[in-house]
Amino acid sequence: MIEKSNIDIVKDNVAEQKPVIEIKNVFKSFGDNQVLKDFSFDLKQGENVVVLGKSGSGKSVLIKCIIGLIKPDKGTIKVFGQNIPDLNREELDKIRVKVGFLFQSNALYDSMTVRENLEFPLRRHSIKTTKEQEYGLIVEALTNVGLADTIDKMPSELSGGMKKRIALARTLILKPDIILYDEPTTGLDPITGKEISNLMNELAKKYNTSAIIISHDLNCVKIVAQKIVMLIDGKCYAQGTYDELKNSTDPKIRHFFE
Amino acid sequence: MKSTVLQKFLTETGDIARFSGRFFVEAFKPRYEFAELLRQCFFIGYKSLPLVAITAFIMGLVITIQSRPTLVEFGAEAWLPKMVSVSLVREIAPVITALICAGKIGSGIGAELGSMKVTEQIDAMDVSGTNPYKFLVVTRVMATTFMIPILAVLADAISLYGGYLGTNIRGVCSWDLYWNQVFDTLTYGDIIPSIAKTFLFGFAIGIIGCYKGFYSNKGTEGVGQSANSAVVISSLLVFILDLLAVQITDLLNLT
Repeated sequence: MIEKSNIDIVKDNVAEQKPVIEIKNVFKSFGDNQVLKDFSFDLKQGENVVVLGKSGSGKSVLIKCIIGLIKPDKGTIKVFGQNIPDLNREELDKIRVKVGFLFQSNALYDSMTVRENLEFPLRRHSIKTTKEQEYGLIVEALTNVGLADTIDKMPSELSGGMKKRIALARTLILKPDIILYDEPTTGLDPITGKEISNLMNELAKKYNTSAIIISHDLNCVKIVAQKIVMLIDGKCYAQGTYDELKNSTDPKIRHFFE
Repeated sequence: MKSTVLQKFLTETGDIARFSGRFFVEAFKPRYEFAELLRQCFFIGYKSLPLVAITAFIMGLVITIQSRPTLVEFGAEAWLPKMVSVSLVREIAPVITALICAGKIGSGIGAELGSMKVTEQIDAMDVSGTNPYKFLVVTRVMATTFMIPILAVLADAISLYGGYLGTNIRGVCSWDLYWNQVFDTLTYGDIIPSIAKTFLFGFAIGIIGCYKGFYSNKGTEGVGQSANSAVVISSLLVFILDLLAVQITDLLNLT
């Protein structure tokens, strides 16, 4: 209930905001498999949008195109006004400081401790901090996800839920304006999944971030989504709130909520 | 249309050539990853030393013991240090070192990068302001290129020591006499080409391990395949490069 009321407040503000991500007419195919066909949508400042679609429908491809890991065949993806496919490595790195990415498999570096995992983006993005400031940021990020005591542990010593939280802490350490979540609750039990979903909401509120969340976990979607974009047949098939789409009469949409 | 084995072979050869070409572009551009390079040199060089040393010692000892009866038959037992030293320095120590490294390092790099690829750690590096090719590939290939020649030189020395012990199992040869005979026999024409080819072996082992790992797919099964094919291809390349190096050395009359 608390999350719902927060969402409503944010939603009123969102309508007036200008888009931070503008995706227009994006096409992407792998061989004969056309994954995205003329996909378009905008993400506004402070908005949490869930992209809902079947497995293999191109959801992960979409957010990897947004962060510049995959180049679309056609179309524009503007993040803070800059077209991602046109950027060189240095320009992309500057954008990537402002856009966090939580990987489906967490992607924690196995050979590094939790502290080193969190230090990595700070050092690699050449964020100028003293040792004390760096330590402070790491402790703050870990405290945010409730795992300050794991600082010297290796990823192999952590449970699935803990790894997800650490990965979230690593994403948040640069204090990004936008976070892209790739199936944040996949592989977690329902209780841990709910904890992660609530944590995502808390952190979005605390840091005033916008987010695109790829998911097909309806419990997570219900908690985090202010708006849902249905990715069907490579297109933005429909968009709306959870309740609007749940009450839709379109069989393709209803199929997801049954 | 189904691609044939030949097409697949040619495509992969082209991909490896392009992957190797990228090394020369990326290696000389900043930012330079010195810390990671040193870390890789430690793992690739220092951590492989015990295995290389034991193998080289045994090879030196065994080659000497095996060669002895033939030389005794011709009454040329005194030539044992000369013959063994040329075999060891020119061919056996560098090739055995490269093969040991292809097995240990090549498979390790293939499996490590392969598992990083399938668990999206390489993508995570990319979004963390790091060029994964530079951080993972350039450092590892440089480390293998510079560490394997050092390991090969150490293997030369250790295998010659093994040869000294082998000579003294059935006969008597003083320490001074043995080393005098060894250094009287060996020329720069024996040593330099044999060290020069180990740079090529090191580069090949590093680049194949990295290529296989970097383009690993099909989940954990793919990681196993990457490690396996890294060893097979790099071992085969060691022999092919050895053959070419020997031909070039021969053409240039360096032998």
